[in-house]
Amino acid sequence: MRSRAAIITVIAILLAAGASMANPGGNGDADRDYTCGGSCHGDPALSTPSDGTVSVSVDNMAFTGTATAVHVTASGMSLSGNRLLGVFLLGSIDGNGDHPEDHGWSIVQDPNGGSRNYVEVVVPPSGSVTLTWVMLAPQTTGSVNLFVETHHGSNPNSNNWAYSGLTRGYTVDVQPVPENLPGFAFDWKPETRVTGDDNPTVIRTTNTTSVSVQWMLENEWIPHDAVVTGEGDEWLAQIPATIGDTRIQYQVTTSNGDFSITQPWLTVATQPAPFDGDIWDARLQGLALALLVTAFLLSLQARLSPWKGGPAEDMTSEVEAETAPPEPPGLEPEEPDEYWSRLVPSEDNPGWLWDPVEEDWVADPQNPPVGDE
Amino acid sequence: MFGAATFHAAMAEIVVGSMVLASLCALGCAAGSIFPNLLGARLASERMMLTMDKASIAGACLGLAFIPIAALSGSFAADNTVTNGLLYNKFVYTGLATGFWAAFVIGRIRLGPGLWEHRSLSALQGVTAAMAILMTTMVSSIGGKLVRGESLFDIMPIWLPSDSATVLNPIVSIVLMLIGTGSLFAVLKLGPKAERIETD
Repeated sequence: MRSRAAIITVIAILLAAGASMANPGGNGDADRDYTCGGSCHGDPALSTPSDGTVSVSVDNMAFTGTATAVHVTASGMSLSGNRLLGVFLLGSIDGNGDHPEDHGWSIVQDPNGGSRNYVEVVVPPSGSVTLTWVMLAPQTTGSVNLFVETHHGSNPNSNNWAYSGLTRGYTVDVQPVPENLPGFAFDWKPETRVTGDDNPTVIRTTNTTSVSVQWMLENEWIPHDAVVTGEGDEWLAQIPATIGDTRIQYQVTTSNGDFSITQPWLTVATQPAPFDGDIWDARLQGLALALLVTAFLLSLQARLSPWKGGPAEDMTSEVEAETAPPEPPGLEPEEPDEYWSRLVPSEDNPGWLWDPVEEDWVADPQNPPVGDE
Repeated sequence: MFGAATFHAAMAEIVVGSMVLASLCALGCAAGSIFPNLLGARLASERMMLTMDKASIAGACLGLAFIPIAALSGSFAADNTVTNGLLYNKFVYTGLATGFWAAFVIGRIRLGPGLWEHRSLSALQGVTAAMAILMTTMVSSIGGKLVRGESLFDIMPIWLPSDSATVLNPIVSIVLMLIGTGSLFAVLKLGPKAERIETD
């Protein structure tokens, strides 16, 4: 019966382990090809089509080297317990060379504030999320495609399926940029700031004689004007520091007298302050703790263990009780009550008691004799 | 060829596997010693105690021997850089686990198998093993957090601080190391010599 219970327990533990999937915590934002170049989500034996809906909003015409925004809305998909969704923005779906930059695009900013084509987001309880990539169109004219792929899990997920969804290709017709059109410098990417840093944000432009910047907190409706200084192709915009989980968005308008172009909204990318410790701090601290813990425990062991010269416990009474020989018959010590009860008082000798066993007079403790006898 | 991360994973599995065996057997010995009638006195039987004692010391020795290899390979897997509190704490908990396991092994070797016959020593050894396996599982759980973004500790009520780290100044760490080394020297060389406790 017990062995059966043990076997059932082991099987239950093994089945519980089966509920865990390959990378439920995600892989982090990165530059990736279609299906990560052959992941679980791309393996026909392990994956299944996504049950969600993905819509993409992008202008079907862009000028070479100018900024354009790609809005991706994903909704209605099953999600794993941590509600993680991975979204790819791709230039092709070959399995390699799929990054938009392989097709001439330059990612100015991804939805998480970086410049990656694959990002992971936690989907809010509404089940819908909109992500925006700001990109600079290729420098060469022609038609280019953009695809969006989503990866997610499901809860429960008894078959351990890796869900994968792919949109059709969205064609963007890239036209020659009008001469002297102001815009971002092609190699410019927004800086990532540390939390609390309020240093001015550097914006590099081309064909621009003046820049204005408006900023607002995410979900705020009315933007504020930022102070902008600079000249030529480099400008400094004074945008407040980000603190905590707040996100600040800003929009740059580049002008040169002939044109005034309002660029897509960007997000101030914020990262936590760099970690203070280094590897040698960690090694030294670990080693110090190891030595201290060992020394402390060894001293405790020494304190609790028997050692030469240590305070020996007094066991005399126990030893004597176990080893003392019994008294000979007739000489066993009598109980005090029994002794006093056998003593007889005498009227002739007040203060004295007669012991008939010992045949001797004993002084009465209750009525002590008066004077010498 | 294989990467440092793969090698580190293999070494960590050896350490964790050995240490789980060692800690289970040590806790069994402690329980048998403190509660002799547990499981119908079968846990405290001489044969069972002897087997668990040998398994615990063998597992702990094996794990302790592999801890430096696992720590070094982990360091290489992280490109010898510490970029966040989680990774920093992995080193700190590795140090704590090493300390507990070293004390467990040294204590068992110095005092002999007879230590399980002393309730106080037996309890101390059991607590040491429990703390050691807790630190070891914390280290491996942080590894899971770093690589997979999840850990078994996520569903357990115990989760020691790991996201933020207390970084000691290296000078303070060196001073603590000197204190630890001095204390070890005092305990092992200057203090009363612990006698090996022979079994009855």
